[in-house]
Amino acid sequence: MALYHHQQDEQENRKISSYPLDQTSYKLLQVIGTGVSATVYKAACLPVNSSVVAIKAIDLERSRANFDDVRREAKAMTLLSHPNVLKAHCSFTVNHHLWVVMPFMSAGSLHSIISSSFPNGLNEASIAVVLKETLNALLYLHDQGHLHRDIKAGNILVDSDGSVKLADFGVSASIYEPNTSYSSSNSPSSSNLMFNEVAGTPYWMAPEVIHSHVGYSFKADIWSFGITALELAHGRPPLSHLPPWKSLFMRITNGLRLSDYHEHTQIMHNNKIKKKFSKNFRDMVASCLAQDPYKRPTAEKLLKHPFFKNCTKSVDFLVKNMLQGLPTVEERYREESVRFHRPIPSLDIDEEPRIADAQHEETDDEDDSLVVKHRRISGWNFNENVLELYPVFPNDTHQEISPSSSSTSSLSNVTNQSDDELNKEKHDKTEENLEDCSTTSSTTTISMVDVAPLIPNLETLMDSLDIERKMVSNLLNQIRLRAPESVNAVDDDEMQMRREEKLHEMVRKLSFELHEEKKKCFQLEQELESLRHHVTNSDSQGSVEEGAAI
Amino acid sequence: MKSLFKSKPKTPAELVRLTRELLIFVDTDSTTKGTKRDEKMAELSKLIRDLKCVLYGNGESEPLVEACVQLTQEFFKQNTLRLIIVCLPKLNLETRKDATQVVANLQRQQVQSRLIASDYLESNKDLMDILITGYENMDLALHYGAMLRECIRHQIIARYVLESEHMKKFFGYIQLPNFDIASDASATFKELLTRHKSTVAEFLTKNYDWFFAEYNKNLLESTNYIIRRQSVKLLGDMLLDRSNSPVMMKYVCSKDNLRILMNLLRESSKNIPLEAFHVFKLFAANQNKPPEIVSILVANRSKLLRFFSEFKLDKEDEQFEADKAQVIKEIVALEPKDRS
Repeated sequence: MALYHHQQDEQENRKISSYPLDQTSYKLLQVIGTGVSATVYKAACLPVNSSVVAIKAIDLERSRANFDDVRREAKAMTLLSHPNVLKAHCSFTVNHHLWVVMPFMSAGSLHSIISSSFPNGLNEASIAVVLKETLNALLYLHDQGHLHRDIKAGNILVDSDGSVKLADFGVSASIYEPNTSYSSSNSPSSSNLMFNEVAGTPYWMAPEVIHSHVGYSFKADIWSFGITALELAHGRPPLSHLPPWKSLFMRITNGLRLSDYHEHTQIMHNNKIKKKFSKNFRDMVASCLAQDPYKRPTAEKLLKHPFFKNCTKSVDFLVKNMLQGLPTVEERYREESVRFHRPIPSLDIDEEPRIADAQHEETDDEDDSLVVKHRRISGWNFNENVLELYPVFPNDTHQEISPSSSSTSSLSNVTNQSDDELNKEKHDKTEENLEDCSTTSSTTTISMVDVAPLIPNLETLMDSLDIERKMVSNLLNQIRLRAPESVNAVDDDEMQMRREEKLHEMVRKLSFELHEEKKKCFQLEQELESLRHHVTNSDSQGSVEEGAAI
Repeated sequence: MKSLFKSKPKTPAELVRLTRELLIFVDTDSTTKGTKRDEKMAELSKLIRDLKCVLYGNGESEPLVEACVQLTQEFFKQNTLRLIIVCLPKLNLETRKDATQVVANLQRQQVQSRLIASDYLESNKDLMDILITGYENMDLALHYGAMLRECIRHQIIARYVLESEHMKKFFGYIQLPNFDIASDASATFKELLTRHKSTVAEFLTKNYDWFFAEYNKNLLESTNYIIRRQSVKLLGDMLLDRSNSPVMMKYVCSKDNLRILMNLLRESSKNIPLEAFHVFKLFAANQNKPPEIVSILVANRSKLLRFFSEFKLDKEDEQFEADKAQVIKEIVALEPKDRS
């Protein structure tokens, strides 16, 4: 294995050194993708027989000044070497852009393939081949101590020969690089193997990445891998009808937002009747989506799952079943641009690109202009039978603030009961009620370590609690109608209110504390400033005197 | 049956000894070829991977302190570090990466609350020469660069590098066309000039003239956007550090420096003028401005005031606004000094 890599390295290295490091050696042919801070071009490398390459032009004006993230990406793309990992030929700067020259993967990303030709998802045999190749890449990355942190169909590229490569290390991280965090989140509790930053793309993010104070590791990639499996199966990731989150705060406090989910499930449900997936596939996805990261398999173990063991087809299968009759990457990019009324960027690299995604393609969700009511989700229920992920709403997020074990247990009884009801309802296909999305307990607690940044979160939380309270009381009303003896439920309702009051109180207290801290901080800064002036003055006087003496 | 053939797991010290033996073989033997050599190389790769596992833990489990101590002690008892560095070009890519991570980790390992890596490097300073010149070799630059950054965590080693002739070479490395290598060299350069405050202050004081001449010419006035942006940021970091205040006072008394900073302030970029402002404000805030500084500021007074009235951040920043107000106040109050 090592030997094989070695030989490949030598070849690749030779290839790399032959790619020129100046703008004039490349002719940009076409835009094939735009992202928030990067544009991807199809280009010809003139001195190398005008061979076709992809160039990702990253706008450095949008990067932090230490460029650590950009440097890390460039380094990863230079040093990683695996047949399923996209490697850079070279990178160099052009004005305020960084050009990363890469192999041109002519079939584009799986996201682009799906949205152009397989809106309802791929067939299971193709999914197996694609995921197996991706998993090989993931195994290699994890073995190297790298977390990819942004696994999704948009970052899985396919070439005309069916070969599959994992791309985009824009947010990847290495456990071996000590100063790896973007932010200065060096919490003492985080060990070598854990990260605390929030990185990735919302829909594919693992719960522990969203609850980032808990720390996460390789298993977060496994979650995203599971979500990607669903994306390939259904054509979209779960909940993708919602806008991506608007703020980091929401992600920190576990706030994935949700709107009219049941409406969407109904649409999905109709699609699903036609689609059948094997037990192995469903079981594989379920294992990736275990709520507890420790229960998810490692990449190595996952590769031994019967779903992949039984997959004996080669990438040729993809050429016949997935790539035939597919529009070219350029055509697809234009189609998408027209569909989303997006201006097609010119080849002038100094023009600001607009919007979204990652590699060889476009945006995930242009349609986020919908004004929607937001609700928060505390967890996920994976329904293995229909291969779908259901969100779970928190109703006792602040269990630790008011520990009351008896009421909590009775609450969860009620919840279980309601779950059953809901399942029944689902079978009856009467999915009109809000409560469809069900409630179970979550163990999230608010960390008291770093209080100040949590204020906005708490405020948002308060808003969403209002909505949740309405939901819960609706639910309780319904249960009461069916079970008149439910005294517990009334207590719980009160408990809920009391909890909320406490929360209000806490937010008030915290706001006050924050205010006080700010005041103190301001005073200290002033003091410091005057001291600094003092010192500077005496220093400069000192140096003047010295000068005079000389 | 199986257990009969399964050898006992090797102790960390044994791993180091076996690694060293194979490194010596790789280093000196040039007669063995073909499969025999491939086998040895494969064995070496595996050993270095094992060393990494001891130091970092294996994915799920944390490393054991006692095992790390044993490994570190054995490693620095003899010249294993030198062998690894010297033999790196002969290793394959995966093993190079493992070796780099092992060397990096060892710089932080304490044995009886001493960083013995520092002691070893102190008596083997020439190893730094190999690591630094690694930036001239594309295949080794990123590995040697990562090792180097870990080694200069030791103050005594950072001082050696700062005082060596190599410091001049960094201005060239930062300008290499390969972004991955140039940015690695920049990261090392920044580390050298910011990590050990007293050593840096001493270096800048002693080497002020040539250093800032090179810095201005090669970095601040570079044609390359990323070099200008990084270097003006680093300049701000250096000058605003308390330990460098004598250097700062000297820097803000030069009209050439002022001219360079004013040019950076005028750039069309969003970020460069902002970083440049943090340096420019020091020129304005200086209470003992030399006449030539005053006359430049007075001559450009209306332009500067117009510029600052439109100079804003995307986000509101009280500190920035306060600094700006102070700078404007200073410029408004300036009187051309008597030149007689």
